[in-house]
Amino acid sequence: MRISRKEFLKQAALFSAGSMLPFTLSAFSGSKIENPDITILYTNDTHARLDPFPSNAKEFAGLGGIARRASLVKKVRANQKNVLLLDAGDVFQGTPWFDVYGGKVDLKLMTEMRYDAMAIGNHEFDRGLEGFAEAAQKAGFPMLASNYMVRETPMNPFVQRQIIKEFDGFKIGIFGLGIRLQGVVDPALHGDVRYMDAERTARRMVESLRNFHRCDYVICLSHLGYQYADDRFDDVKLASSVEGIDLIIGGHTHTFLDDPVIINNSEGKATMITQMGHSGVRVGRLDLKLSEANMNHNFRYYTIDGK
Amino acid sequence: MLPRLLALFIVFVFFSGCTLFRTAVAEEEVPLEYPGPDSEIASMLDAHRGQLNHLMDVKIATVKDTLRFGKPESVLGNMVSDAIRSRAANELGKFVNVGIIGDSSFNLFFVPGRLTLGQMYEFMPYENHVVVLTLNGHKVAELINQVAEMGGAPVSGVRFNIDDNNKARGILVNSQVIEPHRKYRVATSSRAANGGDIFPALWEHEERVDLDISIRDVFVDYFRGKSELYDITDGRIR
Repeated sequence: MRISRKEFLKQAALFSAGSMLPFTLSAFSGSKIENPDITILYTNDTHARLDPFPSNAKEFAGLGGIARRASLVKKVRANQKNVLLLDAGDVFQGTPWFDVYGGKVDLKLMTEMRYDAMAIGNHEFDRGLEGFAEAAQKAGFPMLASNYMVRETPMNPFVQRQIIKEFDGFKIGIFGLGIRLQGVVDPALHGDVRYMDAERTARRMVESLRNFHRCDYVICLSHLGYQYADDRFDDVKLASSVEGIDLIIGGHTHTFLDDPVIINNSEGKATMITQMGHSGVRVGRLDLKLSEANMNHNFRYYTIDGK
Repeated sequence: MLPRLLALFIVFVFFSGCTLFRTAVAEEEVPLEYPGPDSEIASMLDAHRGQLNHLMDVKIATVKDTLRFGKPESVLGNMVSDAIRSRAANELGKFVNVGIIGDSSFNLFFVPGRLTLGQMYEFMPYENHVVVLTLNGHKVAELINQVAEMGGAPVSGVRFNIDDNNKARGILVNSQVIEPHRKYRVATSSRAANGGDIFPALWEHEERVDLDISIRDVFVDYFRGKSELYDITDGRIR
């Protein structure tokens, strides 16, 4: 395998990007870390970036591209038995691929890559509800939005509040949260889809996933945005105010979080927030190391680069 | 075998002594970071490329120089703000004093050669529309000072200097000094008008008129009308 000096330097830089999280319990080490039990891979705000950024892009020239992302995912799958592949929304809009195909190609290829679920971002409304439904027929995975009322709209067949994935008896509950539509999505585009309060909905979802479905781990796919200075609800406010979410995979604000942010809420429980910028420039990876009594996390991200 | 030796040689030239062996091994153990394209996904994507190219490989203009966004003014910044202002005036059938838009939502700069519709759609990837706001002279001055504080932004209809304290000096709107109580029409994108581009002075407007014109069409039509694009600026912000 031929590796140029430039590539080596990039790889070296990448090593430092991965990190162990501070609250990791130390029951396991070394050998265990190399064989994680559940691997969560994720993207957000891919924005129709099916091809890498062109050479005259203002930023990220040459980065991204779904075929290279797919090959990364495939390689991870070859080494890991239990893989979850998730997206936090805004697959739609951003390149001519969307103008020509309205998201169909993106969703088809994401299905081929075996995405397990995605959140609904505000740009998923860009072609209206009929346009969404037309594209969503290509998606072999559910769209998650627990706080959008979609009944009797064309979105209804494709949207679920939650999914539950079970790996060797370990249950992971995943629910989606969408951003407030008012002021963000043109009412002519979102039609009869109604936004419901994200905080209250999240509390209900966690209660149901934890206590009724007996989930061991709860993930929120959020398109709320990482953090706002004003009173708009965001991932940081969600983590602080709603207990029982282990991981928030966020989007919307296109935030590149080099490390997950840990928020301790009032009960002393930690919620981890992560977000991978946008356009598939990065893919996040969180490995959950499971045991009966405690759990280790190992985080890193990949930059989709190189030819 | 030859490429591999070559790689080792390159590493050897770069590193020396005992680090050579370790780094060379470490490279080969970490194949995940920079994968080549997955051939199945790449061919599925390529199967859709014909239609994409058919619709998007339409010539809009010829780019003669490398054209960029920049501060305090720039050729692309001037063009996009001029385009919004003149198109808004045409649609309204009224004079529009100022055009303004943030440059953060533009994705491309232009290199010499054919400018295609596909590039235009990447240039401005979002489907905003044109909005005309009515501001009094106080607010226009505030807006210009916000632009000055940023070190410049795409703005049309205005000339001024930025002084050492990032204040706007010698502001002229349509070649005249600002009258504080006069009303001015300011054309911008719906994104900027809704707070997406950070120009707070726009948020305290009087009248707001939303025009049914896609901002992408504004740029496509404007560049098509120019036909050849050169790197020329007019010193509106100095």
